Amino acid sequence: MDQHRVTITFTLNGKSVTMDVPGAMNALTLIRERLKLKGTKEGCGIGECGACTILVEGRAVNACLMLAAQLDGRDVQTVEGLAHEEGLSLLQESFVKHHAVQCGFCTPGLLMSAKALLAENPCPDKAAIAQAISGNICRCTGYQQIFDSIRHATGAPTGEEKT
Amino acid sequence: MDKAYRTIGKSILRTDAVDKVKGLAAFSADIDLSSPPLVLKVFRSGIPHAKIIKIHTEKALAIEGVLRVFTAKDIPGKNLLGIINKDQPLLAADKVRSAADAVALVAAETEEAALKALDAISVEYEKLPAVFSPEDAMAADAPLIHPKGNQLAARFVKKGDVEAIFQQCASVIERTYRTSMVEHNYLEPDAGIGYLDVDGTLVIYASTQNPHYDHKEIVTLLGVPDDKVRIIQATTGGGFGSKLDLNTQGFIGLALYHLKRAVRCVYTREEAYLATAKRHPLTIHMKTGADATGRLRALRAKIICDTGAYGSYGIAVMSRAAVHATGPYAFEAIDVESLCIYTNNPFCGAMRGFGTPQIAFAHESQIDLHAEDLKIDPLQIRLLNALRPGSETATGQVLTHSVGISQCIEAIRPYYESAISQWATAEHHPYKKRGIGVGAMWYGIGNTGVQNPSTARVEMDLSGAVTLYTGCADIGQGSTTILTQILAETLGLSPEQINVVAADTQFTTNAGATSASRQTYISGNAVKDAADKLSDVLRTEAVNKLRVSKKSLVFADGCVAVATNHEKCVDLASLAKRIHAKGAPLVWQGYFDPETVPLSPTDGQGIPYGTYAFACQMAQVVVDVLTGEITVERIVAAHDVGKAIHPENVKGQICGGTAMGIGFALMEEFKPGETKSMKDYVLPTSMDMPEVIPIIIESHEPSGPFGAKGVGEPALIPTAPAILNAISRALNQRIYTLPANLERVLDASIQSGHFAGRKK
Repeated sequence: MDQHRVTITFTLNGKSVTMDVPGAMNALTLIRERLKLKGTKEGCGIGECGACTILVEGRAVNACLMLAAQLDGRDVQTVEGLAHEEGLSLLQESFVKHHAVQCGFCTPGLLMSAKALLAENPCPDKAAIAQAISGNICRCTGYQQIFDSIRHATGAPTGEEKT
Repeated sequence: MDKAYRTIGKSILRTDAVDKVKGLAAFSADIDLSSPPLVLKVFRSGIPHAKIIKIHTEKALAIEGVLRVFTAKDIPGKNLLGIINKDQPLLAADKVRSAADAVALVAAETEEAALKALDAISVEYEKLPAVFSPEDAMAADAPLIHPKGNQLAARFVKKGDVEAIFQQCASVIERTYRTSMVEHNYLEPDAGIGYLDVDGTLVIYASTQNPHYDHKEIVTLLGVPDDKVRIIQATTGGGFGSKLDLNTQGFIGLALYHLKRAVRCVYTREEAYLATAKRHPLTIHMKTGADATGRLRALRAKIICDTGAYGSYGIAVMSRAAVHATGPYAFEAIDVESLCIYTNNPFCGAMRGFGTPQIAFAHESQIDLHAEDLKIDPLQIRLLNALRPGSETATGQVLTHSVGISQCIEAIRPYYESAISQWATAEHHPYKKRGIGVGAMWYGIGNTGVQNPSTARVEMDLSGAVTLYTGCADIGQGSTTILTQILAETLGLSPEQINVVAADTQFTTNAGATSASRQTYISGNAVKDAADKLSDVLRTEAVNKLRVSKKSLVFADGCVAVATNHEKCVDLASLAKRIHAKGAPLVWQGYFDPETVPLSPTDGQGIPYGTYAFACQMAQVVVDVLTGEITVERIVAAHDVGKAIHPENVKGQICGGTAMGIGFALMEEFKPGETKSMKDYVLPTSMDMPEVIPIIIESHEPSGPFGAKGVGEPALIPTAPAILNAISRALNQRIYTLPANLERVLDASIQSGHFAGRKK
């Protein structure tokens, strides 16, 4: 099928990337199939599950609902960009420490939604966390250990006692 | 007598957590091979019941990039699948029995070509009348879905004379309960990838709960020797029972066999919805009788399970529902008939609890109705009737140990009493009624009255390093971590010192399915058995070196040491070398199969399980009587797990099960033909979750590894009953059909007079 192609340049996990992509390709396909970053998952393809959540200009978005072309000129972060040379980020450490990971398929998306939240609100209460991750379905944990992980991820004093 | 354990009872780092937070864990759709795999897509019938006259594949084959279109005649072995009864073809041969039935399999170079090929396939059918309810399927003139009739199986559990006892009861309650078809909605849609190894072995990575079952099915399907198929479980994104069936594995095996090229099959969410198992909807007619003090005496139930087009785990669901019909209570007389019926609905199979969540809705509603009838407190009536050591169950099994139901109920009590005295009576909006409900459950660990062994191998090399080989599939619940802890504890090592090879049929022996909450208890025991054998040979050798009796030796920090003086020790590497030099084994096989006795086909008497988990939960709910909206404010969940090997994992199971229970109670309903994608299916999000207070009760199970039982399924079972009982208390009107969605709650509100703002 003939497709219009576009050349896009964007920052991916801190590095500049230039690519030629079909106009109809979505950002998830670009990330998984072209860039081979498999941490971002496809759970539904229609923006209902949040497993493909990435950060674009710091905002959590469903990569399956965004065109690859829309990434042009933007800063993009995926789960692979969270850890640094010295090791895991505070948020990742907290997910591990508070046992927020079971099957792990929703984990990358949840981490990205949580990162976007903490950038805006470093001391979120449970309601703010619940709101921020409401687009990320987790079928394993019941979310409670995820709430705990996010609340304890910044090292900042928390508003509530740990349950 | 709680020993000071090194690892058991500690919430250690999960073996898979770091890879998962880095996004590095490779699920089946993530695995890259050296060359791009062919894409497999399945053509499905789209009609519920028809004879296949002819399948036209020519147009599809003419599409550029399409390599093959397989149909049933391409299957070299036996085209029938099913873990309990074999009734499901991989590809339909002569007829289709549901709209999801696979008819053809396309292999193409690209996704685009494969999808075009699906559009180009056409099938000539002779339509047959279809039935969509067990009632219609049992009618005398119903069309036959399978040749032997529409009743797949029946289970009876009978003891004593129920009718005679009902005559003597002060309170007799008879009601009918209905539950919905539920979608598992594990986050990772089914997927697998396969390639041909240099020696001709078909290697399949799959998202699965049971690699050894997959292996057996594919060997039979293809008619090839055992050693020509190797199944490796890829990181698996949840299963909850649905990944016990062969989903993509058979298609991958068939294409690999013929094409000898790497292939990948990834379901879209829509295909996972359409084509994989669902939770059985049950209709339960239940009659129970209690004496004036609230003591339950007789139970009669008729249970009808709609298994859809195929059996899958239907017989297990039917049996388990029957065996668990009493709930965790003692009855004098029982008469249960449970039927498993074919329809042309999507097939139903295993889902977390195997019929127990459904039957618990009935028995927990019944006991609350007796409590209301006899004006007894709901917690008190449960305590009065709770099974205890010495009690005899419906199947005639006398429970001897680890019957923690009373402890679970007592653990709820302080929360229950303060909720009644403070929360329920606190000032609140007149249209927002508050209710407190209790639900309890019991759950037999492992398969029902059949052998279900597990095996494991533990190996020490000459450096003293230990490797565990287990067939057990960790689907996210953490079994690899648990098994590692059991092995590490036995040999005095840190869990991170243990290497694990899991769920690979070439290197591991069968651990059975990750289902029935059985892996901690059964595979845990198999690992412990192997570890104990290795421990024995190590300590035997250490006696020579340390010159003290074997029983005075312990494992400590990579050594065998004298219990009273750890300075006197010998390291594992030295022992391994000495043992090896003598020709004694450093590789040990472990085995465990719970002690069960098959249930009698006529009255269900026997010993279905080696041990049972117990639980009691309390729900505090707010019912908006004008909108039907339910807010669950708090769940307190007390679970007797025997021993929590990893307490945070146990809490994770309890919280996750509770979430699934909230979905089952209030929102989840899969409607065949209507529910097509996640936009059509409501399931709990972070916004639906109340505060959950998990309480771990440890009633030691002597036959369990370090006293452990299981928790995976129990976690879900009491939640819906507790919520439904709470709604009933809030409205003074009971709901008998799940889910209690907005419409049903509003209807109950109207029936009870709350909607008009009047007190009944």
